[in-house]
Amino acid sequence: MNKTIPELDYTPQMVPYPEPTPAEDKNRVHYLNVSDTVWSWLFTLDHKRIGILYLVSVSIFFVFGGIAAALVRTNLLTPTGAILELDQYNKAFTAHGTIMLFLFLIPVIPGVLGNFFVPMMIGAKDMAFPKLNLLSWYVYMAGAMFFVWQLFVGGLDTGWTLYPPYTSQYSHTNVLYAGLGIFITGFSSILTAVNIIATVHKMRCPGMTWSRLPLFVWAMYATSLIQLLGTPVLAVTVLMLATERLFGIGIFDPTLEGDPLLFQHLFWFYSHPAVYIMILPGFGVISEVIPCFSRKNIFGYHAIAWASVGIAVVGFLVWGHHMYIAGQGFYLGMVFSTLTMLVAVPSAIKVFNWVATMYRGSIHFAPPMSFAIAFLFLFTIGGLTGLHLGVLGTDIHLHDTYFVVAHFHFVMVGGMLVAWLAGLHYYWPKMTGRMYNTFWANVAAIVVCVGFFLTFAPQFILGYNGMPRRYPHYPEEFQILNILSTAGASIQAIGFTMPAIYLLGSLVFGRPAGNNPWHATGLEWQVPSPPPPHNFEQIPIVYYPPYEYSIPNGLKHVVIHSLNGNGVHSSDITPKHQEVTSGS
Amino acid sequence: MVESPHHDHNAHTGDIHEVASVTSSLTTFAVLAMLAILALVVGFSNLGEIKVIISLTVAATQSLVLSLFFMDLRRADPLIWLVASSGVFWVGLMFLFIITDYLTRHIAVL
Amino acid sequence: MAANVHDAAPVAHHFNNLQQQHDAIRLGIWLFLVTEVLFFGGAMCAYTAYRIWFPKEFEAGSAALNVGIASVNTFLLLASSLTVTLAVRACYDGQQKLVQFWLGVTIILGSLFLALKAREYYLDFEEGLVPSRKLVSPQQSSMIGEGAALAAPKYAFVQSLERALHHAGYPTEGVDLFRVQLFFMFYYILTGLHVIHMLVGIGLLGWQFFLAKFGFFRYPARYIYIEVLSVYWHFVDMVWIFLLPLLYLAGPHHFGQVISGLQQAFGLSQ
Repeated sequence: MNKTIPELDYTPQMVPYPEPTPAEDKNRVHYLNVSDTVWSWLFTLDHKRIGILYLVSVSIFFVFGGIAAALVRTNLLTPTGAILELDQYNKAFTAHGTIMLFLFLIPVIPGVLGNFFVPMMIGAKDMAFPKLNLLSWYVYMAGAMFFVWQLFVGGLDTGWTLYPPYTSQYSHTNVLYAGLGIFITGFSSILTAVNIIATVHKMRCPGMTWSRLPLFVWAMYATSLIQLLGTPVLAVTVLMLATERLFGIGIFDPTLEGDPLLFQHLFWFYSHPAVYIMILPGFGVISEVIPCFSRKNIFGYHAIAWASVGIAVVGFLVWGHHMYIAGQGFYLGMVFSTLTMLVAVPSAIKVFNWVATMYRGSIHFAPPMSFAIAFLFLFTIGGLTGLHLGVLGTDIHLHDTYFVVAHFHFVMVGGMLVAWLAGLHYYWPKMTGRMYNTFWANVAAIVVCVGFFLTFAPQFILGYNGMPRRYPHYPEEFQILNILSTAGASIQAIGFTMPAIYLLGSLVFGRPAGNNPWHATGLEWQVPSPPPPHNFEQIPIVYYPPYEYSIPNGLKHVVIHSLNGNGVHSSDITPKHQEVTSGS
Repeated sequence: MVESPHHDHNAHTGDIHEVASVTSSLTTFAVLAMLAILALVVGFSNLGEIKVIISLTVAATQSLVLSLFFMDLRRADPLIWLVASSGVFWVGLMFLFIITDYLTRHIAVL
Repeated sequence: MAANVHDAAPVAHHFNNLQQQHDAIRLGIWLFLVTEVLFFGGAMCAYTAYRIWFPKEFEAGSAALNVGIASVNTFLLLASSLTVTLAVRACYDGQQKLVQFWLGVTIILGSLFLALKAREYYLDFEEGLVPSRKLVSPQQSSMIGEGAALAAPKYAFVQSLERALHHAGYPTEGVDLFRVQLFFMFYYILTGLHVIHMLVGIGLLGWQFFLAKFGFFRYPARYIYIEVLSVYWHFVDMVWIFLLPLLYLAGPHHFGQVISGLQQAFGLSQ
């Protein structure tokens, strides 16, 4: 049937180690060397370059957030605060929270991997709105730099949740300008979301039906839905807070018979879906990595795809679980509690499906897979402990304790950050054309996982025993666990520094990676690394579902280019499915 | 769907998009103006409790006419319909939950 | 007309054809409008929450606003929606001069709206209807009689509001006048956000007016930009359609307020 298609050797023992380097064409033009002036980078319209711009910026902000974390954890070494004054401590944990959430976790995968790979995965030459894409990076940088500057010149001591009336009436820090910084950064989220949704709807190549989209694209689409619908509410809420602070009279102020809880409702209407903005892209990466390194088709493709959308939708209906003891109506609390238990179901479905994908697969412990396995372990713990908090009865005891802190770090760091590292390690060869040292990468994965667990597992115990969050002082008996936690944090710091070293080192010392070092499926792996400026020489035509790792008898191409260097013409191939044209 | 690069453009045949005629626009404007007058009439009336519901119903009707005719939602893709209705639906969800909270509790009036 | 079509169809390199480009851009603007709906929706939700708790206070606040200006503004904005739609039609018919004309009329109508709004804000400030914690001393207050010397200092806002409601003939028993500041915060925030959106709209219309001078918007290539801006403008109109009953027509009103409002606007009141 397909004798004109070259059969590639996908025998398992050759995976994941890179295939022998073909004679590299030193004169090949790709997106990195097509022009090298600063102007061409700062005014690029290429989604790949914009992805790299995001990569550099989020990494810098991650370092800032990490330094703030180091300050917090070091201070908690002694029960009465080791290095910081009380107000400095407030500023430290606020800086850590705001930077990590708004400037790192929310933009990282959409900005870097989403921008870089969504067009390639659907067979497009660029995003739908390239200029809007560049604008979204500039808006992000403007908001982020302004915000960080405000943190440096006086700081913000309100906690990342910005609750009034403290924020509007009593805090002496730069609430107004910091709020403005967050407001501006939110526009970046919205613009990226508009771009991704329009791109996925309108720019899929022929044959790329919704059921053939890689799950990463489904995840990015669901993330974009949340960004679109949730971020404006945060914007208007921060605006109202800023108005109240600026004019000294207000909306959430109880002395004016305003309701502080109204702020919390509007704030969490965005901020709960925001945590799904943070985690869904990570889910998408894991959905790509696990099939590749289990050499097996994903288990339950449609379940995972629809679970992503389900999380996006139901995630908007659970925000009240942050406000159970804040004065919200009791019956409404019960409704939110039930819905919170419901929203755990799609996440659980995904975890089951990933594990089922690995079952009876051929597991290869390449660095992306090591991070993915760490993700499964750490995210599951985080997700399960979220149920403790979602259930109204237990939350009454656990609210605002270190249990909450441990839970969200397990899902955000153990989940999302580890998934980001998995994605970074998976796609680094494609983005840069270089392969890094996989041994040290695997070591880094272990160091991060162990360090992370040592940091945050004790915090569950601390929280359960009543240590409140955001307190710089604690009872003597909690000290040993706090010291363990800080020790883990320093191990984590080492674990995060290692990738910086070997990944950047690979740019100089790494060997050329070739088109498809992981022997993965997907359109993005069919083009050279780094990719050419317009991604594809010809628009691809897709005939097969996305994770065809398990086809016997050798045919592993899921894409046949209409005209390829290997001389395959689309007329030679009998399509497995009806050819479908692009457009929704 | 690939458009053939050479096609006849007499009288906008095979066009990318159709646009409302001048007559249609003027009619829509007249309807909207009448609804606006109705909104004002309702506003100046003394209907008591239900006045706000009627006012908002008139406003919703105005929005519907505006979006269907002026914003050309009538002729738009199903996808655009989905986008527009999702926006309305989501605002509805936000209102539903938050207003439920405010209907079921009240601060002590000092 | 055929010549126009072929030489003025700049399809961006990443799109296959003009239809796809236009579809994507149209989808993009509607997605953006969803964010705007959520944006204004959030503020209106907050407004609704307080209106449920303090209906009397919100109705009192509404009575103090200038319904006259608001009514005229409503019709100005509706007319501008009509004219921007006529500009879209003109672009579709390939009549460049007419596009420019209708865009210009839309800008004028929008600017009239803003001028009246500015006048309204000015009058509000002059009357002292601005939320603040400023106090007036008992001597300055309007209270007379033996209680005056021992009276607590009055809020300036409350005094201004009393004056405005008295002028409007609105009964103030059972209304906590200090609490009406909540209403006024929403009034300024909602109308302020609306004004900002109108300014952006007029700015973009102005830019398109300038480009239309040079025949930039030939159908079908760059028609989409006229359509996209008109959709945005209609949305701004839609927001106003909701602001009118929520802010200006809450509670008892009578038509006489329109007349007195307009008289005040044009400096004709006593």
